[in-house]
Amino acid sequence: MFGNLLASCSYDRKVIIWKETNGTWDALHECNNHDSSVNSVCWAPHEFGLMLVCGSSDGAISVLSSAGDGTWETKKVNNAHTIGCNAVSWAPAVVPGSLIEQPSAQKPITVKRFVSGGCDNLVKIWKEEEGQWKEEQKLEAHSDWVRDVAWAPSIGLPHSTIASCSQDGRVIIWTSDDSTGSMWTPKILHKFNDVVWHVSWSITGNILAVSGGDNKVSLWKESLEGQWVCVSDVNKGQGQQPSEGPQAEQ
Amino acid sequence: MAARWNENIVAEHRDLQANAMSVDCTGQFAILAGKRVWAVINLDTPQDVVKKLSRQSRWEVSVVEWNPHVLQKNLFAATSNQSADIWSWADGCGRQIASLKAHTRVISDVNWSCFDSNMLATCSVDTYIYLWDIRDSRKPASALSAVAGAAQVKWNKIDSNYIATAHDGDIRIWDHRKNSTPVQYIAAHLSKIHGLDWEPKQELCLATSSQDGTVKFWDVTSPRQPQSTLNSTAPVWRARYTPFGNGLVTIVVPQLRRGENSLLLWNTDNLSVPMHTFIGHSDVVLEFQWRKFNEDSTDYQLVTWSRDHTLRLWKIDPHLQKLCGAEEFIDDVHRDMVSISPGSRHSSISGVAIEKTSLGSDKEQTGSAVEEINEKVKNVSSSATTVTAGQPQTLQQEFSLVNVSDITNVKLDLDAMHRSCKVTSVHVNNMVTLNVSFPANYPNNAAPDFTFTKPTNIDTKTKSKLLKILQETSHQHVKRNRTCLEPCIRKLVTGLETLTVDDKVQDSSQTPYNLQNVSVVKQPVMPIISYGSYRDHNIPFPRTSGARFCSVGKLVVFMRPVVKKSSNPENTPRSLSVLGTFRTLPIKGMASQTSQYNIYNTNLGSPTRDVEVSISNYYKDRDRERKIRGRGSSKHKRGWEVDYVKPTSSGLVTVYDIEIVLPIHKTLAQNYVLDHNDIPGMCKFGTLCQHCHREVKGAHCVECKRYSFQCAICHVAVKGSSNFCLSCRHGGHSHHMLEWFQTQDVCPTGCGCYCMQEDFQLYGRERTDSFSRSGHTGRERTDSFGRSGITSRERADSYGKSGFSNFL
Repeated sequence: MFGNLLASCSYDRKVIIWKETNGTWDALHECNNHDSSVNSVCWAPHEFGLMLVCGSSDGAISVLSSAGDGTWETKKVNNAHTIGCNAVSWAPAVVPGSLIEQPSAQKPITVKRFVSGGCDNLVKIWKEEEGQWKEEQKLEAHSDWVRDVAWAPSIGLPHSTIASCSQDGRVIIWTSDDSTGSMWTPKILHKFNDVVWHVSWSITGNILAVSGGDNKVSLWKESLEGQWVCVSDVNKGQGQQPSEGPQAEQ
Repeated sequence: MAARWNENIVAEHRDLQANAMSVDCTGQFAILAGKRVWAVINLDTPQDVVKKLSRQSRWEVSVVEWNPHVLQKNLFAATSNQSADIWSWADGCGRQIASLKAHTRVISDVNWSCFDSNMLATCSVDTYIYLWDIRDSRKPASALSAVAGAAQVKWNKIDSNYIATAHDGDIRIWDHRKNSTPVQYIAAHLSKIHGLDWEPKQELCLATSSQDGTVKFWDVTSPRQPQSTLNSTAPVWRARYTPFGNGLVTIVVPQLRRGENSLLLWNTDNLSVPMHTFIGHSDVVLEFQWRKFNEDSTDYQLVTWSRDHTLRLWKIDPHLQKLCGAEEFIDDVHRDMVSISPGSRHSSISGVAIEKTSLGSDKEQTGSAVEEINEKVKNVSSSATTVTAGQPQTLQQEFSLVNVSDITNVKLDLDAMHRSCKVTSVHVNNMVTLNVSFPANYPNNAAPDFTFTKPTNIDTKTKSKLLKILQETSHQHVKRNRTCLEPCIRKLVTGLETLTVDDKVQDSSQTPYNLQNVSVVKQPVMPIISYGSYRDHNIPFPRTSGARFCSVGKLVVFMRPVVKKSSNPENTPRSLSVLGTFRTLPIKGMASQTSQYNIYNTNLGSPTRDVEVSISNYYKDRDRERKIRGRGSSKHKRGWEVDYVKPTSSGLVTVYDIEIVLPIHKTLAQNYVLDHNDIPGMCKFGTLCQHCHREVKGAHCVECKRYSFQCAICHVAVKGSSNFCLSCRHGGHSHHMLEWFQTQDVCPTGCGCYCMQEDFQLYGRERTDSFSRSGHTGRERTDSFGRSGITSRERADSYGKSGFSNFL
């Protein structure tokens, strides 16, 4: 979702950008860049402009950016993940550490980055360099397909966090404490008994919602000692318990 | 062509771990060879293992091959590492009768001679090709020395002297009477040749399949240029001629296992499109062989063994054989029959045709005559379905050969005299009448004209679509000077069915589940097959539940409807392709624990295709299936019928308000005033000296000269992050407080205050207040407010833990 734009991807290999005008949704643009199912789309932070990254089962990742005149420019990274790419997520547009650093004369240049996960069990970080997308980091820890990745929002503290989840039931939190993001340390948040399909960060970047094949959602938070604890476990099948955990809205 | 769903039989043998398979010459037994066991399987009941023989070897069986001669049909050769063992299978037990040891490196292929039942060729990467007489297993009867190691060795199927071997990208042809040098070299491919097969009907022709993604057809006498080339998108592992017609079956080396687990059937006369695709294996096909259905029939079965541990038997019906040009190939058993029947049949039919001509315009009579022809055609065709000797030369002949007896809703009105025919097809509420007129030079690159006449009740859009289909079909055929009436009729019927499928859905919703009805419904062509998702192993299974934070402090959660609690992780599928295996027909009683997703038979399935591919139904059906299985499998069909309910409940999308768990407090943030003009004033907000209760701006109180805030643990002035009790007002460094209160609940100063409890009550009552009183010394205040108030995870947590002033 980007304003009144919605991007959707599908098993039919297409990515469609929809636009809402007066309450109706119309397809604004249809992209047929991929040879197999497109599994994930993610809009870039608004600071980067109208930009969209798509990950597909053909192993490629494509970055669509609006030229502004209604046309879309595509940059494709072929064979980004062997066998297939399952998830993509943009890094926040905030430079790590910018909050506490002394404001220098020139504004630091924000590097565009995104993270992807795929069937090669890898999490990869991509960086835009001279208009081209280059693989910056390759993070290895999962033992099966990576099903989702999520880069945590940031207000500019000097660390970056990425969550990834996998077919192997593990959710891994990757942290990097330098602003360049060259060193990433994995930490297993939890090993679930079933496939983990989805991870999502709260806007504050400190709570992670995890959901998977067991049809359950749990919320996780890091304690001061650096342990990840489950703060809320919603077993949807068993009905909501409003006294503990999230309150249900109508 | 590819979407036709073939009848196939599936048998799963997961325990065998076999990687080689061979079918014996009678087509009755198949052997599956794994590292630990041999298993002999009777192909009439392929799910049962007739006999298992354990074997002790460090090496896998690389190739296994039955002797192709009926005389020695109980022998099979199996190679593992450097030796080839000859086994005998008789009376339900197997015994090794010889071990052929001469190769110094691993044996890559073994092939029995088609002429001498005792002759066997082996090849190895040690560069030698040995020919053995199994009666003397001590040493090879003959040795062919090549410079390069060989991957394949194959005896010629017509001339007993020739042998072909594949060495990387080259082919060598040997005459075993002259074993010093090859008689022919063919530099066939630039990449490695994986497979080699001699043409069964032409002495000097062979096909090579290679890593470069092509199959090349060679006449060994002209090694410079292949006769033709078949291009595939992936490296071709095997390409073998079919025992009927001009067919060829290929399997590819799947690139990254991207769902290319199908076998393709080609007609060697038309290498642009495969005639048929055998879809079903969920992993790489390791081996395929042909099996004669039984002695008296022309039906063949394709037996395939795949890494997915299933043995599949695909029926190759006459229609498919015909597609491969099988009408030109009639095997011995049938030659007699054919030689009698076509003559008589043709004469009688032409007789009728002549009679009809003489009758001229008498329509009624003509009609009955045509009916008579049809009747005869039907009779003839039902007695010998495959007997279609050659291409019909005239229109009369074609008319007489048209066999659409299997299509129930079509009526034909053939008029050879006026070179036209009238096709009437009724489907549900739709009726189509089509006039086909054949030009004089049909079928030699002249397509017939199609016009819809009354009574036809389909709309113009459907009409034009159907016309397009018909024209395409006819053009494809007449381009090759082939007749096209029958294919066109078939296309018309299927086209009509698919184009008017909406009506069908409507119709079936009125009678939700009627088995009789279902049995008539033709198996629909899977709509999604066109983009292959069901075949690709690596397209992930859709997420059927999920949760995502949304920017306004909400958590959006969706889920699949919960039928019952199930937490067996084995049940959560991995890739979308499990839905594809929904469609295969298993054998009853096959290993149930591994065939979770295989139990669906389209005949039994729901009447509309939409339901068939829905994800929610996948779960629903599976749960129901489990229930049914609990009651005993004999009730399976009944259970389906009774339990069938229209899926009504869909998953819920729930939006949760999660503001309470976020370290953001909207009211606080609203009350917090950022005054750029009076920053010192803003910073005043807060701390009073512990001792004299005056405002302080540093570590020391200006009034009493003491530390404005002293840590109760280390007695040093607190400058950074701090916490204190709202009741007794003692406190100190955050980390000290945190440590202390992990084990204690009284104040560290010994004042007797139960800080944790007090603060908990206080906090509960006045949470807003607690914020303003969380102590920070002036210098760091702005920053720490900013950090703790909005994002710092550590900070927020420490407050939460210590219980002093929990922002949450």
